[in-house]
Amino acid sequence: MFTAIGLTHYLLLAAMLFCIGLWVMASKRNAIGVLIGVELILNASNINLLAFARYSTGGMNGHLIALFVIVLAAAEAAIAIAIVVNLYKNFMSVDVDKAATMKN
Amino acid sequence: MINILGQVAEGQIWQPTLTELSYFAPELVLVATLLLLLIGPLIAGRGSGATLVMVVVGMVAAVVANLLVMNQVVTGPVSGLAPAAGHMLLVDNFSIFFKFFLLLFLLGVTVLWMVGSAATERNAPEFYILLLGSMLGMSLMVSTMNLLLMVMAIELASLPSYALVAFDKRNRPGAEAAIKYVIFGGTCAAIMMYGVSLLFGVFGTLDFTRIAPQLVEIFENLAQVPASKLALLGLALLAMGAGIAFKISAVPFHFWCPDVFQGAKIEVTTWLSVASKAAGLCLLLRLLQVLAGSAHASGHGFSAAFYLQVVTGVVAVVAAVTCLLGNLAAYRQQSVKRLLAYSSIAHAGYMLMLGAIVLTGDVTQLVWQTVVIYLVMYLLMNLGAFGATALVIGQTGSDQLENFTGLGRRAPALAAGLAICLFSLVGIPPLGGFIAKWWLLWALGQAAMQQMHWWLWALLLWASFNTLLSLFYYLRVIRQMYLVNDDRPGLKVPAGGVVLINVCALLLLLSGTLLVNPIRQKVGRYTDHIFGQSPASIVQVNQPQNISGNQLDGRSRERIDTQ
Repeated sequence: MFTAIGLTHYLLLAAMLFCIGLWVMASKRNAIGVLIGVELILNASNINLLAFARYSTGGMNGHLIALFVIVLAAAEAAIAIAIVVNLYKNFMSVDVDKAATMKN
Repeated sequence: MINILGQVAEGQIWQPTLTELSYFAPELVLVATLLLLLIGPLIAGRGSGATLVMVVVGMVAAVVANLLVMNQVVTGPVSGLAPAAGHMLLVDNFSIFFKFFLLLFLLGVTVLWMVGSAATERNAPEFYILLLGSMLGMSLMVSTMNLLLMVMAIELASLPSYALVAFDKRNRPGAEAAIKYVIFGGTCAAIMMYGVSLLFGVFGTLDFTRIAPQLVEIFENLAQVPASKLALLGLALLAMGAGIAFKISAVPFHFWCPDVFQGAKIEVTTWLSVASKAAGLCLLLRLLQVLAGSAHASGHGFSAAFYLQVVTGVVAVVAAVTCLLGNLAAYRQQSVKRLLAYSSIAHAGYMLMLGAIVLTGDVTQLVWQTVVIYLVMYLLMNLGAFGATALVIGQTGSDQLENFTGLGRRAPALAAGLAICLFSLVGIPPLGGFIAKWWLLWALGQAAMQQMHWWLWALLLWASFNTLLSLFYYLRVIRQMYLVNDDRPGLKVPAGGVVLINVCALLLLLSGTLLVNPIRQKVGRYTDHIFGQSPASIVQVNQPQNISGNQLDGRSRERIDTQ
């Protein structure tokens, strides 16, 4: 039970974060909430990368890739929040269910 | 040990020579144009005219740079940066073809924009910054075999696209489409990144040309591989698939496509319908090509062959379902933009069928010929069809089918061009679309003959059956233009737009008749050297490096087991 913390623990933590992210995206109706779910998934992959780099393989590459992912997450958040603001201006709401006027 | 670029010796940072860097010239020119568009308006003003001048200068420079690189690659023995930088950036004939393809398409979209919204556009520089940014991402998508750069390139192509969809800030459908696009796209990209992080853990590298041989090896000895590793690998491949399927808008990741196409401005819709899907498809085909190459090189046994068949089967099923769904859903549409969106989903399905046969190996040349021909024809057809829709929207304010009523009388030249493009989208001879589809069916047939798999014949029949299905909804538009008549007044469509559409139609007509043989010879010669060297050798370049990769890999397996 109280063994040293190793790769598996980190991978499980990342997997949990991934699942929580997916659940948040599926259950939240607030656009900002959905975006937080996306960020959780991206950070799950960061934990994976760092854990693999520390405990098993790849050396510094894992750390460098994680840096790229952080930048990517920031860029995506910037664009997404701008789009959410635009949504609010047009629909007076950030509820993604309200934005469903287009039909087949 | 900083060797993120792959093959560089340990502890040493890869420093490109000027020659190596010069292969990157087309992309650098694009970046320079982006900077020019950011700074230029401070001096030259924010008008559409000044912006156009800057964009045209950038495009001409990019074409020249691409031509220069092309000459070097054709005469030189290596394919660009590939050996030096561990496939972080591939410069070969295919990536050069794709850059020309994007530039040609950008030219078409620019003409469309000039005719349509240039006069009223107040944010012209920003529009082009976003457009060129996504173009840079797309050209990187097909020029890399490194999974990290692949994810970055997909994001670089996607992020500006999200903003482009919401570009017109007072447009409610645009705002709605953009939020759907960004949520769906962000999710798929994040899931893909999670998959990439798992692949990094399993293989210790993100260079796909080094991953592919190990993947084949795992397929070969599946029984001996620990279950924990297999679980990680399966999850990783699924996640990767989700990210790529989103770009292609393959079922079940197609939901964004109709809404985004309907909500976005027509120029943006045109851009996304061809460029974004083509980039995703070429990326997938390249990955499968490398996988096939390493399976071929290792002389794999029965087990690996079986699991490669499974991968092929998954691609084939996705392609078949995508085709059918696109064609069936297109029937009910009243919005022509939405109809063309479903049509583009169906065409993505046809092209995805090539992914199913690229793994079978012996028809590689034929597959890449089909890719080149299909993409060019698809560009012309879609540019013509969306361009005509743009003109109708410009004159009547909406893209509803009823606005196309009697177009044959109200704007004869426009209607004729649109009709040719639509017939070509169906694949009726003697038009370019028929040639593209003929090549596709021919490639499927060849693969089926060589492999003796009944499901390849089924796929061929399925493609033909879907072509028949698609005939009717395209005919609905044509019927509305020519057979339904009321006394609506004639349309005064801008001459530039009509010329653009009829040039597309004329090229489609020519490529289906007079130019068939020249095209066949030209494309045949081109695809002989499409990867610079022979296709299999892009895998072999890195063979010696596999030793260290395997060592790392073995260590990781140990670690996972001992936990």
